[in-house]
Amino acid sequence: MMVKIIFAVLLVILNPWPTNAQPKGETGVRGEIVGQGGLKFPIAVSPLKNLGTTADTGKLSEGIADTIVYDLDLSGWFKVLDRAAYIENPQKSGVALGSFDFKDWSTIGAEGLVKGGFTIQGDEVTVELRLFDVFQNKERVGKRYVGRVKDYRRIAHKFADEIINQFTGVPGIFNTRIAYVSTSGGRFKEIHIAHLDGSEKFQVTNNHTINLSPSWTADGKSVLYTSYKDRNSSLYLFELYSGKEAKITPRNGRYLGGKASPDGQFIAATVEIGGNSNIVLLDRNGNVIRSLTESPGIEVSPAWSPDSKQLVFVSDRSGSPQVYVLDVANNKSRRLTYSGNYNTSPEWSPRGDRIAYTGRVGNRFAIFTIPVEGGEPRKLTAESADSEDPTWSPDGRFIAFASNRAGKYHLYVMQANGENQRRLTGSGGDDTKPNWSPRLE
Amino acid sequence: MAAVNKLVCCGLVTIALAAVGCSPSATNKPEPATASSAAAKPATPGPGEGQRGATGESTTGQSSLDELQKGKQSTPGPLKDVYFSFDRYDLEGEARETLKVNADWLKRNPAARIEIEGHCDERGTNEYNLALGAKRAQAAKDYLITLGIATERLSTISYGEEIPVCKESNESCWSQNRRARFVVIQARPAS
Repeated sequence: MMVKIIFAVLLVILNPWPTNAQPKGETGVRGEIVGQGGLKFPIAVSPLKNLGTTADTGKLSEGIADTIVYDLDLSGWFKVLDRAAYIENPQKSGVALGSFDFKDWSTIGAEGLVKGGFTIQGDEVTVELRLFDVFQNKERVGKRYVGRVKDYRRIAHKFADEIINQFTGVPGIFNTRIAYVSTSGGRFKEIHIAHLDGSEKFQVTNNHTINLSPSWTADGKSVLYTSYKDRNSSLYLFELYSGKEAKITPRNGRYLGGKASPDGQFIAATVEIGGNSNIVLLDRNGNVIRSLTESPGIEVSPAWSPDSKQLVFVSDRSGSPQVYVLDVANNKSRRLTYSGNYNTSPEWSPRGDRIAYTGRVGNRFAIFTIPVEGGEPRKLTAESADSEDPTWSPDGRFIAFASNRAGKYHLYVMQANGENQRRLTGSGGDDTKPNWSPRLE
Repeated sequence: MAAVNKLVCCGLVTIALAAVGCSPSATNKPEPATASSAAAKPATPGPGEGQRGATGESTTGQSSLDELQKGKQSTPGPLKDVYFSFDRYDLEGEARETLKVNADWLKRNPAARIEIEGHCDERGTNEYNLALGAKRAQAAKDYLITLGIATERLSTISYGEEIPVCKESNESCWSQNRRARFVVIQARPAS
């Protein structure tokens, strides 16, 4: 009964995304951020039991548990109990209800428990994972996955998504990837992609020039980006499965960035002609359909609304860069930001309700969100360093961004209210321009 | 290619010598040891481009992208950079004076074609800075046109904040990076 109440409380607090929460002071400090109202759900994630006869040479037992721990920790909603405190031996106790003692877990303060087992056969692994209510001595959910041994982290991410689903009613976003620009310590800017935990890193471009502004297509199968590889900035589409790269914009056009629409039909792009940058509507193959803005100034950085009917973009038509909202059907636009004299790189929340953007505060840049209908912006990052280029998670509950708070630019993730800011990348170079993929299969 | 390089290098040397009143016959001298092989390479090799060795003051330079790819900066060309304020693309008095000097050079070298690069400092958003750099390059181009330079001789490109000439994070560096740069892409008329 007790636990049921606790789960219910979490559901109430986590499900309607808190919109009135303010970031607390120096939100950039790792590990110091407390969740909403100080409430973090204490959970234990046991190493998995090897249920088969094949030796666990790849250390899946800890590897799967570690990945789930990383994900739950990243969400900011859980206090994952330290494995050193666990009492039971995971290789000796069972994984199903009734085959282990809940007291071993309630004693150390766990209210939730993740247990599981796996069987390796050749290069394939079968993994079963379960989430238990410790106080209620009940199983909340159990799942079985089959996959390649080397993809065990994906299985762990999927179950972490399921745990988040159990607590909040909406699956987590851990089976996603981030595309970004990295110098990798060299002088070129190349497009990379990686999972949130840094696994499955892949370098999309290697043309030794400048590649910028990666963004995912709605199906998560391709990455669109701007490249100077042919000397003239153009848009390219890279298909991940085939490894095929295609330049999609006309040979002599100057394109400064583009984003594919969520409905998969269009690309909104910035084209520069005679020094003037404007937003144009392209079909998904890069052919120009029509202009969306016709201004003698700077109109740049379009990003789609979830219904593909509107765009946010940046215009300097007021004398300084500000964020505007545009109806694609009639090209009508309205100004959204009025605070500050430098507001750029807007991104529309997949939930539809808020726009995230980069704003200048004094001599620093910070991440803000503002309601789509306008209103008071909410500053999410501290101006002790620069934070730029927000990108929403596919569920709209998290924002990834680039910040130089640790010296070089690295990628960070936080809850959409600014809490629980965590660093994702740490290469020797600068990592910038993150773009969050849709949920992957 | 090596021969082209050599001739281009000679062309560059000519400028240095011309500046101290040396005769055009200097172009026939062998490549001096002081001329760095990286000093001048055509940005986009094409017909007629710097292939004969210059007899005047013209030269060819490397685009910022060429420099990035090679990992070295080239010897400064005959045209001077013009600088801008943060998030601005209007030409201030000093920038106009510099452009007048550049226009004079272009008038003395009627065969030269140039590419005007727009650059920004690292602050702010990359895409916005690409657009801002395009504005800066265009502002410089427009002013050169008002000074009588034919538009066909002037092209533009924006590199935004992507290829800074100075890499530290302070105003001294930033002010050097907010610039329009002029690269001579063709010293002689195409034949």
